[in-house]
Amino acid sequence: MLDLRVPSGLFFSILGVVLVGLGILAPDLRAPLTDININLYSGLSMLAFGAFLLLMARRASRAR
Amino acid sequence: MKLAAVDYVILATYFAFVLGIGWILRKKVSTSGDFLLSGRSVPVWITSLAFIAANLGAQELIGMAASGAKYGIMTAHFYWVGAIPAMLFMGIFMMPFYYGSKARSVPEYLKLRFDEKTRGFNAFTFAVMTIFSSGISMYALGLLLHLVLNWDFSTSVLASAAIVLAYTYLGGLTSAIYNEVLQFFLIVAGFAPLAILACAKAGGWHGIVSRLPANMTHSWRYMGSSSQNPMGVELFGMVAGLGFVLSFGYWCTNFLVVQRAMAADSMSAARRTPLIGTIPKMFLPFIVILPGIAAVALAKMAGADGSHLYDLPLKVGSNVKDYDQVLTTLMARFYPAGMLGVGLTGLMASFMSGMAGNVTAFNTVFTYDIYQSYIRKGAPDSHYLKVGRMTTIVGVALSIGAAYLAHYYNNIMDLLQFVFGFVNAPLLATFLLGMFWKRTTAHGAFSGLVGGTIAASLTWGLTVAEGKGGVFGTAYTFPSVMAQNFWIAIFAFSTCFLVTIVVSMMSAPRPEKDLEGLVYGLTKVPHDEGAKWYQRPAPLAICVSALVIFLNIWFA
Repeated sequence: MLDLRVPSGLFFSILGVVLVGLGILAPDLRAPLTDININLYSGLSMLAFGAFLLLMARRASRAR
Repeated sequence: MKLAAVDYVILATYFAFVLGIGWILRKKVSTSGDFLLSGRSVPVWITSLAFIAANLGAQELIGMAASGAKYGIMTAHFYWVGAIPAMLFMGIFMMPFYYGSKARSVPEYLKLRFDEKTRGFNAFTFAVMTIFSSGISMYALGLLLHLVLNWDFSTSVLASAAIVLAYTYLGGLTSAIYNEVLQFFLIVAGFAPLAILACAKAGGWHGIVSRLPANMTHSWRYMGSSSQNPMGVELFGMVAGLGFVLSFGYWCTNFLVVQRAMAADSMSAARRTPLIGTIPKMFLPFIVILPGIAAVALAKMAGADGSHLYDLPLKVGSNVKDYDQVLTTLMARFYPAGMLGVGLTGLMASFMSGMAGNVTAFNTVFTYDIYQSYIRKGAPDSHYLKVGRMTTIVGVALSIGAAYLAHYYNNIMDLLQFVFGFVNAPLLATFLLGMFWKRTTAHGAFSGLVGGTIAASLTWGLTVAEGKGGVFGTAYTFPSVMAQNFWIAIFAFSTCFLVTIVVSMMSAPRPEKDLEGLVYGLTKVPHDEGAKWYQRPAPLAICVSALVIFLNIWFA
């Protein structure tokens, strides 16, 4: 049976990498009401979430 | 609003993943039970998140932000008074009968407990309702994408329907449930930053409170009379109508959500599904309602150049506010390219989770409760698997039809949506009596359902709210459509409850041995001896109740 944490973890890691990359390459990208580099910060949190899911999946598959 | 290349990349990645999950899970499907019921094998954390994601369609997402801007924090009553107590009740008291009866659907439980006609009544109304709900939701999405991105209505409707069809056809209910979890994460990832940014810009909760009228930032203080609060509902109507009848009716009897819990791998997991689901559910208002409330505050703030930071959107060519656009216009003001893609993908994800929920519930009810009961009995299982697959295609096609119907005949859809608002109300009485009073008979249940539905129509036809209703005359005028809806539900429930009792007393009772596993008192409820305290339903429910009471008091 598919461990859902693997595809979800992969998805958020990819999303995180894309957003962090964008945040670094275009740090001045802003919407009218946003004062911070939102792409960088949300990218980092998605990367962390994705890595966490992958780690959990790895631990579960080792335990088996 | 204009999308950049990176936004399309994010959207495309999401599409690739949902289709990929469907593709991997296709191998798991070999019987109709695998396809329509997930073979009762899904881990509990997945069923819990799917349980709330299936209800979190695009219409809910758009509607909650809209209600936040229109009514303020009172909107949270839908969660903290409505959904949470109902989900707790469902897990603790009702799940043992659903899961323990081995019924494959809610209508099938009615067949086991009562008789064929009660099942038929429920199966047909439910099938019609799911199709129209997913059609209306599809229409809402197509309209919004056309308004904000200028995408073609037909292209966005057909493309999103095709993707939902592909992954539900491939992997059945398992694929729908697995994707709902991914979609839930994405909805949070896409809208939590918006809530944080909008709230921070408006000066935090204190900044919002200082700019809004007091009855928009207190959820209970202005409930005394309907004229004081923006929703136009008084305390009794709110607690009895929304808190009890509508919420319990929806969360405890709607197969769309019950199906997720039934897919769990054990009785204990099935009971914990709604209980664990309440934990993320009670914090959702901060993501889905708060942006709407912050929007109203932002509309009262001036930027450096003297203009408003944000203006509440108006309907094209008029001065009437279009609250349904609050969410997307906020996204455009706060999200640059990149996050905008994530937000839009989150919106798509919510649409798909809602639609897949409807489609998978529809194909199960159609295959088992309509096809297998009335059209062809006793065929080999492979035949029903094929029918289930075909029904998935037909269900999606009918939903698309309903979306176009909504596109051309707006008023019919408004009415239908209003009707769906209280269609579960009489059903709740039927279930409560059926599960907890062994004397309830099939004739009682059926007459009660019919009586309750008639009572609902009469209440609607004889009352007026905001200039609507009153087809048969005006006996009473409600202060708001919301109040009317709550009171219709109260009347429908009470009528069904009384009629069921009276007719049951007049008809012959069923022998007790036929009711084992179906009724309270004649069913063994497992007590999970030896399980850790947080794995047992009761302690879990007590913790959740404490938290939700705290939230109610904090924002009272």
